[in-house]
Amino acid sequence: MANSIVALRAYRDGLHLIIRPHLSIEEVEEAIQQEISRMNQPLIGASVQIDLKCPTLKKEEAAYLKSKLQETYNLTVRSIEALDEQVPPPIAAAPTTHAIAQAMDTSNNRESEPSRIIPYTIRSGQTENFPQGSLIIYGDVNSGAEVRAGGDIVVLGALRGNAHAGINGRLSAVVIAMDLVPVQLQIGNFISRRPINQKSRGYPEIARIGVEDVIIVEKFVKF
Amino acid sequence: MGKVIVVTSGKGGVGKTTSTANLGTALALLGKTAVVVDADVGLRNLDIVMGLESRIVYTSMDVIDKQCELSKALVKDRRVDGLTLLAASQKNNKDDIQPEQMKAICAKLRTTHDFVLVDSPAGIERGFSNASAGADEAIVVTTPDVSAIRDADRIIGLLQHAGIEPINLILNRFSPQLVGNGSMMDQADVLDILNIDLIGIVPEDSGVITSTNRGIPLVYEDASPGSQAYMRIARRLTGQRIPIPDLEEKGFLSNIVNWFTRNR
Repeated sequence: MANSIVALRAYRDGLHLIIRPHLSIEEVEEAIQQEISRMNQPLIGASVQIDLKCPTLKKEEAAYLKSKLQETYNLTVRSIEALDEQVPPPIAAAPTTHAIAQAMDTSNNRESEPSRIIPYTIRSGQTENFPQGSLIIYGDVNSGAEVRAGGDIVVLGALRGNAHAGINGRLSAVVIAMDLVPVQLQIGNFISRRPINQKSRGYPEIARIGVEDVIIVEKFVKF
Repeated sequence: MGKVIVVTSGKGGVGKTTSTANLGTALALLGKTAVVVDADVGLRNLDIVMGLESRIVYTSMDVIDKQCELSKALVKDRRVDGLTLLAASQKNNKDDIQPEQMKAICAKLRTTHDFVLVDSPAGIERGFSNASAGADEAIVVTTPDVSAIRDADRIIGLLQHAGIEPINLILNRFSPQLVGNGSMMDQADVLDILNIDLIGIVPEDSGVITSTNRGIPLVYEDASPGSQAYMRIARRLTGQRIPIPDLEEKGFLSNIVNWFTRNR
């Protein structure tokens, strides 16, 4: 499963490409190609910053890799760091689509995007669709109703129906509700169902995609 | 000039027809003139619940087809003054009537009656749009279960869209015992979802079944809890201010909790 020569890892500050020492540049190239084609989400075309971490890479080899990554995969190399082999790299988990998407997502301009305010309750059978930005609802979204937004969905009431945030594939979109008890919740292409017999908790909650690539729900304290 | 009130629910079997029959009778007992209109063309039931099925000669379909005058099609209830029924045709179906035709009938009826109660069929299609076409106000009937509430919610959305206002809620077949042991939604839960004004709660009452089968609306019997509930709703419709009694069965603990929360 894991590539033994190179490893693509997601960290808080972006993606790191870690290269094991004592290898020829051809092997490394081959491994990068494999690793990137293994991803279930294309990185090609995205402007992702990559740290090369390899202790034994020569300067010219590093420069070659940098230009190669830029040309072939359109990835920007931010820095090349020599990693001390004594210190184990802080590899936590395999790169998740979420982390990659978040790294790719430079387009979530909550401040500049339009948003639509719905000053009433959305009842069963009614739908609100706003692909251009976020939806703010001054009421409830009842069972049988559906709200869809390109950005976030904020319900200043109870969310009891279906909600789909980030319909254009934006995984950094969130759903916030004073009472979050939806039938079904979607963010991007991730979907989650309400646990059976879930009661309202009496405090506002936020749903978003967590690092484990599942929709997580937690108490909403601040954004 | 009377009021035209459509009684509707979305879901079937929650008590639209029973409510229409009882409210019409109750209003007449209170001295008002009321006409109950069956809008369930092809599946009429209101005449049976009212016990007037044997006396129907003409229906609203005959009025629309100009076979008879509207006043001739009204069946007078002999048990109480001021109560009449306009039956639906059982031979036709809902598409044979246009919303404008129902509107015209309601507009005529309101000039001669204090209350025109239109019994809507279940569903959100033509039958519902016919029934609500001439209405100024609506009464939505629901039972405290999730499927009925979702349908009521849908209907409320449609009524609001049609500009019908106010929309009042009857919570039917309410069982204080089931609420008490936590297996039925309570009044607050239902109102929290539907967010409209409650005009009355009708408790579960087995007398409804016998009264339906006998064709004698429940409100003729004073003692039954269902009858009292409908009488209170009718009084509220006439503008009297009558508090909604708390039907919920409170245990010792919840009484204490309530006492504390009230004084907070």
